[in-house]
Amino acid sequence: MNTNDHNFSEPDERVALRESVAKLAGKYGREYVERQAASGGKMTEMWLEMGRTGFLGVNIPEEYGGGGGGMSDLAAVLEECASAGAPLLMMVVSPAICGSIINRCGTAAQKQTWLPAIADGTHLMAFGITESDAGSNSHQITTTARRDGDEWVLNGQKTFISGVDEAHSVLIVARIEDEKTGKLKPALFVVPTDSPGFSTAPIEMGWMAPEKQFTLFIDDVRLPKSALIGERDGDLWQLFAGLNPERIMGAALSCGIARYALDRAVEYAKERKVWGDKPIGTHQGVAHPLAKVKIELEQARLLWQKAAALYDAGDDFGAGEYANMAKYAGGEISCNATDVAVHTHGGNGLTAEYGLANMLVAARLGRIAPVSREMILNFVAMHSLGLPKSY
Amino acid sequence: MNVVVCVKQIPDPADPGALDPNTKTLKRDGKLILDESDSYGVEMALQLVDAAGSGEVTLVSMAPNGEVSGLRTALAMGAAKAVLVSDDALAGSDALGTSKVLAKAIARAGEADLILTATESSDGYTGTVPEQIAELLQLPSVTFAKEIAVDGSTLKVQRQTEAGYDEVECPLPAVVSVTAGVVEPRYPSFKGIMAAKSKPVDQVTIADLGIDAASVGWAGAGQEIVEIAQAEAREAGTIIEDDGEAFAQVVKFLDDLKVV
Ligand SMILES: Cc1cc2nc3c(=O)[nH]c(=O)nc-3n(C[C@H](O)[C@H](O)[C@H](O)COP(=O)(O)OP(=O)(O)OC[C@H]3O[C@@H](n4cnc5c(N)ncnc54)[C@H](O)[C@@H]3O)c2cc1C
Repeated sequence: MNTNDHNFSEPDERVALRESVAKLAGKYGREYVERQAASGGKMTEMWLEMGRTGFLGVNIPEEYGGGGGGMSDLAAVLEECASAGAPLLMMVVSPAICGSIINRCGTAAQKQTWLPAIADGTHLMAFGITESDAGSNSHQITTTARRDGDEWVLNGQKTFISGVDEAHSVLIVARIEDEKTGKLKPALFVVPTDSPGFSTAPIEMGWMAPEKQFTLFIDDVRLPKSALIGERDGDLWQLFAGLNPERIMGAALSCGIARYALDRAVEYAKERKVWGDKPIGTHQGVAHPLAKVKIELEQARLLWQKAAALYDAGDDFGAGEYANMAKYAGGEISCNATDVAVHTHGGNGLTAEYGLANMLVAARLGRIAPVSREMILNFVAMHSLGLPKSY
Repeated sequence: MNVVVCVKQIPDPADPGALDPNTKTLKRDGKLILDESDSYGVEMALQLVDAAGSGEVTLVSMAPNGEVSGLRTALAMGAAKAVLVSDDALAGSDALGTSKVLAKAIARAGEADLILTATESSDGYTGTVPEQIAELLQLPSVTFAKEIAVDGSTLKVQRQTEAGYDEVECPLPAVVSVTAGVVEPRYPSFKGIMAAKSKPVDQVTIADLGIDAASVGWAGAGQEIVEIAQAEAREAGTIIEDDGEAFAQVVKFLDDLKVV
């Protein structure tokens, strides 16, 4: 019997990839992110260096300028960036969601047009599904596309769409009429951000980050036929092609944030002395919460690694269940770890200098987006446990 | 242009190192990584080969237990191949013993136009190996290079000094030690990492290199570590009250350190 069926260590190449990314991201780190956020700047310099070094496109096939690796590699890259204090939020969107959808569902020409530039970071593609009246419920989407001769005409609104100010295009989820049945079904369109009729309004968020969120107004935006992803008139599965990568990346991002917070807290607990010569980490009241974070962090990492391994092996269905569970665990641990890190730092935890207070808010994103904690619990209750549908 | 770079694989400086109380030397039984001091030589070699338009970079390393982790890092940066000398008989080698082994390994690596090393390793700090290799190979030795250019068969080096730099020329081939921090080592790319897996590492023993076991390792070491002591605690700094003239004292302080 082969007792090594389950391999719980990453291959040497992924370990080397992590080391290399950690070095590059460490050069930027939290100071860079904060400087950019405070001055209204973007992560562009780091983004492009990551692209040149092949890190943004590790999951894109080699024939389209990528690294020919998988989601396991891309998620490891993002986790390392976040754990170095420089979470590249747009990696979730551009190479992971958009890159995967175009790679799996796009025509040869669409792949050739977008994948190489997504891989080297020179084309940043945002992703827009959320609408103000269709948050957790994507069946309520009202953005529609109709055919007019050789063109598509899009109308609708999107909200909470990240990074549109720095993006070259947005992959928009809209509904089109099925030619045979006449029913509305989702379809995906690449909408250049300089399209006439496309406008944006920033949403003021409650924490500092270089990436901003936007409401999008799409008024009679005319697109060529080639803007619709795929050969046929769209398909629901195209949307699903992006969901697992999105969740796996969300989980890896959250785990990276948790690693960063835990590292800072442990450093502080080893150095800070308020009772004679013993550091505060001596007290179990301080040490146990940190140990608990470590355990829950490793649980979450195992979950996203499993989800990514299933996805890379072509098991979309199996990956779906684990990607959801990983996203849940990631959201929980990024919230818990930042909470414990702030508390370990006492008053310093809330100062601007230590930067943890801002992270406390940012970490909550993992619980809300791309799909909320409750929607994951709904999914697991229904699909994993066979309980009745609740919504 | 073919460049050989000597790279050392050392215990990760981020993990607290441990000394073996019997031998009084650093324990090296865990995973070893590429000495950061050597990444500058690797980068410089890659740039020189690039500029020359042909040739390749070959790594030479001596390490216990067939260690290749650090070599893989340098191969992922772009080096083409490596010679690794690994032999139990090499434990305890001093700087001269190491130089003998590296000189033989360099010869095995093939025709080289240039041999690069770091000025000193981050875990040993003897800083004498580059010059010893040059002597053993009967080649010119240039130290503390901050910039290297090749003009035909002449090597032009900017050699760092306390006051600035000297311009040094010598014929190729030569052995040049590269100062840390003078170039920005590239990050191994994903493709580089994947390609490094299949790049050849020629692992050899001292017998393969025709080296007598008695001339290296503990047996051949002319150097012995007789005592280990704690480094002295750092003294308190000097506080200068600014009465309008403090800058002069700061300048003098920096001048004494020879940093300005
Ligand atoms: C910083 C940020 C960036 C984002 N970036 C993007 C982006 O780039 N592209 C994009 O398309 N979207 C983006 N989003 C949107 C994000 O995906 C949505 O916020 C998310 O899907 C939740 O939708 P909602 O905000 O409308 O919440 P709602 O759907 O209104 O939910 C509100 C609350 O009700 C709960 N709830 C809802 N339905 C149920 C139910 N059936 N059972 C139990 N509880 C329920 C939810 O869990 C949540 O706690 C972003 C959001 C944020 C905050």
